[in-house]
Amino acid sequence: MIGINNLSRNWKEFSLNIDLHIEEGEYFVILGPTASGKTLLLELIAGFYHPDSGSIMIGKTDVADLLPEQRKIGFVYQDYSIFPHLNVEENIEFGLKLKKTPRDERRRRVQEIMDLLGISHLSHRYSLTLSGGEQQRVSLARAIIVDPEILLLDEPLSALDNQTQNMLRDELKRIHHEAGLTTIHVTHDQTEAAMLADRIAVMIRGQIVQVGAPEEIFNSPANAEIAEFVGTENILAGIVASNEGGLTTIEVGAHVVEAVSGYSAGEHVRVCLRPEDVAVSVGTMAFQTRHGDRDHRESSVRNAFHGTVTQMTPYGALTRVKIDCGVVIVALITKQSAAAMGLTMGSPVCVSFKAAAVHVIG
Amino acid sequence: MKKTAILIMIMLCSVIALGCVGTDTDTTTDGSADGGDTPEVHSGTLTVFHAGSLSIPFAKLEEVFEAAHPGIDVQCEAAGSAATIRKVTELHKEADIVASADYSLIPSMMYPEYADWYLQFARNQIVLAYTDKSRYADEINADNWYEILRRDDVRFGFSNPNDDPCGYRSQMTILLAEAHYGDDMIYEDLIEANSAMAMVYDAANGTYTLHMPASESIDPSAKLMVRSMEMELIAGLDAQEIDYYFIYRSVAEQHGQLFLELPVEIDLSSVTYADTYKTVQVVQANGNLVTGKPVVYGITVPKNARDPEMGLEFVKLVVSPEGQQIFVDLGQPPIVPAVGSGEVPEEVRGMVEMG
Amino acid sequence: MQTLTPKHDRLLIVFLLLGLVILAFILTPLLHMVFGQLISNRSGLIEAVNDSAVIKSILLTMYTALTATAIAFVFGVPLAYFLARRDFPGKGIVESVIDIPIIIPHTVAGIALLTVFGAHGMIGDPLSSIVRFRDALPGVVVAMLFVSVPFLINSAREGFQSVDPRLENVARSLGASSWDAFQRVTVPLSARHILVGSILCWARAMSEFGAVIVIAYYPMIAPTLIYERYISYGLSASSPVAVLLIVICLVVFIVLRMISAGWRRYDRD
Repeated sequence: MIGINNLSRNWKEFSLNIDLHIEEGEYFVILGPTASGKTLLLELIAGFYHPDSGSIMIGKTDVADLLPEQRKIGFVYQDYSIFPHLNVEENIEFGLKLKKTPRDERRRRVQEIMDLLGISHLSHRYSLTLSGGEQQRVSLARAIIVDPEILLLDEPLSALDNQTQNMLRDELKRIHHEAGLTTIHVTHDQTEAAMLADRIAVMIRGQIVQVGAPEEIFNSPANAEIAEFVGTENILAGIVASNEGGLTTIEVGAHVVEAVSGYSAGEHVRVCLRPEDVAVSVGTMAFQTRHGDRDHRESSVRNAFHGTVTQMTPYGALTRVKIDCGVVIVALITKQSAAAMGLTMGSPVCVSFKAAAVHVIG
Repeated sequence: MKKTAILIMIMLCSVIALGCVGTDTDTTTDGSADGGDTPEVHSGTLTVFHAGSLSIPFAKLEEVFEAAHPGIDVQCEAAGSAATIRKVTELHKEADIVASADYSLIPSMMYPEYADWYLQFARNQIVLAYTDKSRYADEINADNWYEILRRDDVRFGFSNPNDDPCGYRSQMTILLAEAHYGDDMIYEDLIEANSAMAMVYDAANGTYTLHMPASESIDPSAKLMVRSMEMELIAGLDAQEIDYYFIYRSVAEQHGQLFLELPVEIDLSSVTYADTYKTVQVVQANGNLVTGKPVVYGITVPKNARDPEMGLEFVKLVVSPEGQQIFVDLGQPPIVPAVGSGEVPEEVRGMVEMG
Repeated sequence: MQTLTPKHDRLLIVFLLLGLVILAFILTPLLHMVFGQLISNRSGLIEAVNDSAVIKSILLTMYTALTATAIAFVFGVPLAYFLARRDFPGKGIVESVIDIPIIIPHTVAGIALLTVFGAHGMIGDPLSSIVRFRDALPGVVVAMLFVSVPFLINSAREGFQSVDPRLENVARSLGASSWDAFQRVTVPLSARHILVGSILCWARAMSEFGAVIVIAYYPMIAPTLIYERYISYGLSASSPVAVLLIVICLVVFIVLRMISAGWRRYDRD
């Protein structure tokens, strides 16, 4: 669908150099640290800037000579860029007006999309009075109402609080699912990438350094630098064993992980866990295996496994501890607590995490 | 950063304060000098308002005066003669010297409230100034200038007769040319046909009177360029917007322009032809009637002068041989000796002839 | 708007006091002139109102200043946009050049303009068969334009700079041509700056004297007329005209300010 061939562009701090192919209908996430050129890449695809060399193909068309307004690309900026002189309704119908869509149809479609995104009650408000999440929805509605072939999202969730992030992340997934829109989503957040992406491209200093499915990226980073950047996320493949009112039991290797999700028994899922949510302790501690040894039910910790420390890497003020429990789990703990527990390679430890810390994705 | 800003503020304030204190000390020493044997050290500023055409000689006089009186700072302000006097009579600015390009403005506009005497100290003459780029510059002479000005492609200028003595004097010169050259169409062709200015002949007195409309109604054609002051005409000449303009000889000479001397019967330079000159009159828009007479500059120390004593010293310099030489050098003939009128102060009486 | 109490806002009170000094500095001469006129010489004012030359010159001033502003708008606003959106070597120099008319003495500006727009000037000569500048309406406009265009350009540029280029990008992605994006997004968002710049430009044009009298003493605009009345008849004849001009300008500006204030809707919440 989108072919980016030898695209290069000199920018202030780095030069961009990209080769990338994105499939039709794919949710493609470009993951990279800030100032790695992600936004610039999107702007090049959208046609706001011109590459120094290389080409961008959309379908079978080289878009070099197409103006931004001819490319049928929807764009959502990090700050949402709501037109401050227009109210929500006027923002959303902006593109339709330019297309000279008849008034009645315009009204109907605007209403439809506002309903879809749950922003109908905001129709006469101006951007300054909207929350980040509301602006995000308006921006999204404005972009998709004109039926673009491609949707470009530049850090669409990063300006939002956690709760809104979660809600909107699901919403993005849903919209993508329903519209089947080829989407390129740029972010620096591993969880976001892991949860949304069909495929992820890791971008560092203007270069794409690895492309692959989320597990590939997180479980087998191509080199140390990528590992350094993406290695902070645990992604484990599993099968849902049961789901009782949201409380999901997932078989992961020899272990059972409890989580909250909407997936039902038999579904293949991925379990995502932030290393900072993983607690490490020595000695006896609550644990459970798939054979159901459930001794310590008084803790809110629903998941606990025994394992052995296989690697310890300093990570700023923290230490990244890799623990082999049959599956490999990465934990981030403070240097002090690692020292207090006397952790070394080979130390037997117990890892634990709450069910609420687990993100389950399909 | 903040500290620097505050420091700069403090420094600025101190400089300003010092500046003020500085002048204060200057003025206080004025009065505090005691009689005794010590020569009086005079200091302060001396404000001189003068006609624009005196700018260059007065700048020279300023130098000489400041050299002789080290404590004094002479500040000259040039303007049209009428504007110069109005600065004193209407805006109540304090001037130690007022010098006008028409001495008669002093008695008519300043007497009795703002002055009660004046000296006639220099003369001038109306010439036709031009540059080597002016059309027909190579053929113009004292016998054919009015023919050349009549030509369709020639444009010329003069200052506004309502604003500037040089302006109404230029009108007088053009009118006087009719009798001198025996061509009674000169004024009509050059001025009446190109503006709203009009001539009226009074058969009873044998005089011609020129009526100046209000400045906004002078309505000059493209052939004429009328401006409030001569500075703007000089710009017009430089830009070849006009080919010729009527101006005082001294100004043309001081600006290095070519100029045509007109016959003495019409150029308002000679006391000998005073009777000829007075056959023409100009009524300005404000009703003021001016009769033709030789161009004679007048100077006075206004009654509201801050430092009349130094003002008088300056007047003495103007009418002294040294001062008169400055005028000679700059093409502006001095009146030797200067002629006094009114309550001329004792100190200068000896240097002038009472008229 | 909060009320000031010494407890919580000493700084603002000090600033207010300092500000009042400068406000008084501006107002005192103006009020003195206007009220002095109204009290001591009301008949002079009535005469001025009934004097067709006065009214004609004021209308002429407003008209020529408006023409100058329109020209400044047509050529200055695009330049302002270009400067706001593009960096190029020598941009600082271009911006300084725009400010030069503010800096140089206006008589000098007038002489420079006369030299170029005069019948033998670089521009005046080729145009001499079509249009005359010296002592003609185009001359007045040219002088006004020269001294006032920087105000419009600078203000419009500031306005354009305050509009995030991303908004234009988004508009483009929604199908707007660059012109659509400019007029539907950029212009509405910088409209107030452009209007304020236009008002300043017009005001500056109306007040111009020094440059105008060199190139076009005629037709006589109000500032020249005021000067001429002063020279010929003195203050008592010139100040009614001045007061009339002040009052008319004040009314016009207050109205324009009110209009522009209504355009701020999205600048605040």
